[in-house]
Amino acid sequence: MKYVAGCDVGSLTSKFVIMIKGKIVCEEIIKSRPKPQESAETVMDKALQKAGLKKENISFCVGTGYGREQISFVNKSVSEITCHGKGARWLMPTAKTIIDIGGQDCKVIKLDSSGKIDKFITNDKCASGTGRFLEVMAKVLNVEINDLGKFSAKSKTPITLASTCTVWAQADIIKYINSGYSLDDIGAGINIAMANRVAMLVSTLKPEKDICMTGGVAKNEGVFTALEGIIGQRIKHIRKFDPQMVGALGAALLASESLTGEVKI
Amino acid sequence: MSKEFIEIATKINYPLLSDWKSSGKKIVGYTCSFLPPEIFHAAGILPIRLRGIETESLNIADAYYGPFVCTFPKCLLQLAGEGKYSFLDGAVISTGCDAMRRLDECWRSAGKDYPNAIPSFFYYFDIPHKSDNHALKWFEDEIKLLIKAISNNFGVNISTENLQKSISIYNKGRRLLLELENLRMKEGVNITGEEAFAASISANLMPREDFNKSLSDWISDINSLPELKVSGKKRIMLIGSVNDDIDLVRLIEKAGALVVAENLCFGIRSEKDIVREDIEPIHALSYRYLSNSICPRMFGGYLERKGYLLEKVKSARIDGVIMQNIRFCDLHSSENGLFERDLEDAGIPSIRLEKEYGPLTETGRLRMRIDAFLERISK
Amino acid sequence: MRPEIYEYNYDWMLWRTCVAAANLGNGSDYEVKKMLDYVPYFRGIIEPVMNLGETGKSFLRMMAEYTENIVCAKKQGKKVALTTFCFSPTLLYAMDIVPISLEPMTVLGSVLWKRGCTDYMDYCSDLGFSETGCSSQRGSMGAYLAGLGAEIDLVVIDSAGVCDTNANAFAFAASYLKKPFYCLNYPAGLTDDRSKNYHREDYRALIAFLEKLTGKSFKEDKLRKVLEEYRKQDLIISELEELQRFVPSPFPVVYNFLIYAGRFFFAGKESYTKLLKDMLDVVKDNAKKGRSGISSGIEKCRAFFFYIDHYALDLKLWDWLDKNQINHMGNILSRAFGDTATYTKGMEEATYHIDTRDMDHMIDTLAEINARMPMVRSIRGPYDMPNMWLEESIAMAKMYKADCCVYNGTPGCRNTWSNVKLIANDLEKYGYPTHIMYGDAFDDRVESWEATAARLDEFFKIRGLL
Repeated sequence: MKYVAGCDVGSLTSKFVIMIKGKIVCEEIIKSRPKPQESAETVMDKALQKAGLKKENISFCVGTGYGREQISFVNKSVSEITCHGKGARWLMPTAKTIIDIGGQDCKVIKLDSSGKIDKFITNDKCASGTGRFLEVMAKVLNVEINDLGKFSAKSKTPITLASTCTVWAQADIIKYINSGYSLDDIGAGINIAMANRVAMLVSTLKPEKDICMTGGVAKNEGVFTALEGIIGQRIKHIRKFDPQMVGALGAALLASESLTGEVKI
Repeated sequence: MSKEFIEIATKINYPLLSDWKSSGKKIVGYTCSFLPPEIFHAAGILPIRLRGIETESLNIADAYYGPFVCTFPKCLLQLAGEGKYSFLDGAVISTGCDAMRRLDECWRSAGKDYPNAIPSFFYYFDIPHKSDNHALKWFEDEIKLLIKAISNNFGVNISTENLQKSISIYNKGRRLLLELENLRMKEGVNITGEEAFAASISANLMPREDFNKSLSDWISDINSLPELKVSGKKRIMLIGSVNDDIDLVRLIEKAGALVVAENLCFGIRSEKDIVREDIEPIHALSYRYLSNSICPRMFGGYLERKGYLLEKVKSARIDGVIMQNIRFCDLHSSENGLFERDLEDAGIPSIRLEKEYGPLTETGRLRMRIDAFLERISK
Repeated sequence: MRPEIYEYNYDWMLWRTCVAAANLGNGSDYEVKKMLDYVPYFRGIIEPVMNLGETGKSFLRMMAEYTENIVCAKKQGKKVALTTFCFSPTLLYAMDIVPISLEPMTVLGSVLWKRGCTDYMDYCSDLGFSETGCSSQRGSMGAYLAGLGAEIDLVVIDSAGVCDTNANAFAFAASYLKKPFYCLNYPAGLTDDRSKNYHREDYRALIAFLEKLTGKSFKEDKLRKVLEEYRKQDLIISELEELQRFVPSPFPVVYNFLIYAGRFFFAGKESYTKLLKDMLDVVKDNAKKGRSGISSGIEKCRAFFFYIDHYALDLKLWDWLDKNQINHMGNILSRAFGDTATYTKGMEEATYHIDTRDMDHMIDTLAEINARMPMVRSIRGPYDMPNMWLEESIAMAKMYKADCCVYNGTPGCRNTWSNVKLIANDLEKYGYPTHIMYGDAFDDRVESWEATAARLDEFFKIRGLL
């Protein structure tokens, strides 16, 4: 039995996916530790435990994410852009444009008909337009990051937010809180600011259908819906799989291909 | 031989400079590739392009420059404030772009606050942003004024004969750099992009005669070097904002590519434009330095630059173009946007990277993008 | 860009909005008051303009005319030029070319619409234009790049050597739209013979470019008419700005804005003269009564804005100044430096003179006027050189008895952000408390107006100005 795995060590979370014969055996996610190697080992151990496997059972493991260079146990490391493209296409065979919002950056990836990366663009400006932006804002609001998305649906008059800089936006938020604005309106404003930032990247790449979203922020309905409105196109939900795990899934798929010699990276 | 260039390219105060100084000779720093260093050479002064490597913080520069400004002039100012440029006998600020020309005021201001921050000869050189006839005439007069200022300040005579001699020596260096470019572009290449880039950076720093000799020697050695293992490596061209960072080229090559050409003002760029030696030298210099619109500071010259880029992409058989710009460098950033459109239309993959200047760049993020780009073009 | 934005042309929308607003001026006070209830989004801008009385109505009519010229240019067989606010449109009017001045068009969108011009700004980035480029161009430029406006025939500007970010934006537009491009380029000096000659030669080359492109030659009579109108306007402005020196200033706070907006849109056109006359009536009346132009009639403080104003959404800056009884003593955009202006005393060298005796002198006049347009005059050379930013700011602050100086710009302004800290220090040394605003004049997403106002409030209070 040849198990393969993908390990995605991101700036906020680390993810691990184990597969066999094109089927997902198990997936695991943890908060990233200061050292990538430590994150990788912890998340792998947890995943192996969950699947009842041992390290030796994994025949091939692909590493990805910011910390991928520092993971000692992987057989190969691949950029998360390629991994997200791979994972998303596997989950949604019609996907052509993938919007991935990670903790530290945001990427928009366009795939050609065979699933290879045609073009991509990344936001390397600053934290705005990334998961980190939402994390900082959630902290200021004293809410869970996963709850931010829910505010949008309840808000009637979302606040306007300085969307170009996380630091200034933070100051703005505090001011809104002090002025007595409702949590719903502030939360919705944050989601819209985030969507605006991401939309700029999406539009630059001229997205083609189907569009899907990966990364942790894909679970934020507020950002999701606002983004659809701004770019004027429908974004399809990834069903039955955690969008945050797509990078690790892609890595596992690439591991499987490496093993069978299907595709060379 | 390439070791010498790499050492020079990675140090502000490299040993040759101290030798030059200790022999009682002068050094003048300048900020833009549109200034003809031949003038200084003809005066027996060593002209060096000012650089911002070795910067670790911007605490000094940020006290003068505002926040929304490119980090290149900031790094220069930082080093000046730290006294790292105290060996300069003069500095010439040019109107390269807004942020660069304001280095004039910022540096003068820092000169009042920090000892040895500013050299005694400090000059503002006004270069037009176009090459119409009246602009060329302006530029020629500007060169004459600079010559006068140098002569008065340093008590030297810049004769026509000396200028002609200097032009000839600089032209020799240009021809050698072109030769180097041909060598790095060929199929069975024996040098890395990093080495070639270090040599072209050194061209802006070394006494020209020494540079010519070192490069000439290296070129003769190159053919006897073993061929590099380049099979499967993608051929990359690096373009964009001012860049003298061999670490960036190293990063790209470490990711499994080969940088075979640049379109950077510290790289081998307009060496094909030889200064005419058969006409009056100041006129020849003004024509050579202003008539090519190679930098987006020359507004309205996009088509010319695009033509140059596509030609080089073709001759160097480029697989992908990496376009970098320093944050807040609007000129290169938007030009890269146009290039991206036109390169992709021509079927040449490209990627835009926005970053800080040289030593301030966070390599981890850059590496991820470069890896993904190489994965994309390796399909 | 949101799909609905593609549905309407930008200039067409501005035109319809301005026409509707101008028509509102024909109604009775009661009708106007009733109507305002139906336009909640526009109320913030229309109401203060309406409150300016005849001046406000003239301003709206002028805006309606300007935008109508753009929308109808092609029907009238005229060429359309994309240009910049610091390029005097007088030449274009004399050649029957319709100017679209991008920055004032961004201001219009920014003050009129709830979301300002931010969609168009972002669209420029979508096309590859620098995201950090100045928002003043990125706003309306996005609309024209998207084809949501009059078709552009040429691009003519004058910002090379003055503001590279500006010149770069227009160069991008010309390359993107594949249109002919001419850019005047300015040396660092203003008054030395070499620079003066260069101004003349460059300007003549521009005229040759325009003549070639339009196939029309330059008409002497037409130019004289435009310049004579310009002369009239200068005299009125001189009188206005002389009265502004009174303490309290008889200028309503927004009048500086109207003076320069009018000049950018319509220098040399009659509708601008009409606006200026209306303004003079009000200012004279206030002066006669010794009354401040501020709504409350009380002037507590006089602020000189040594760069530009803040236009993002409504006229909030002026509203804030008015409420706080601070009068606006002008900015870098206000003063044209004609030799009839009394504030130029002691700076005669830096002025232009209108000379209409023959074609050659008229062209020299245009070249001189253009070399003294805002920014072109004072941020071309090192800021502390004669006639440049520092000298001008100090002279103006002194002349208009300012109590303090305020900088406002856009993060896209590479030029002034490279030395604003230096000039602010100098102004402080000259005794002017100086405040640097960090927001964006055209994009309130950078810093919300509320945050900007809180910082202004803090400055005026802490420095004991209020």
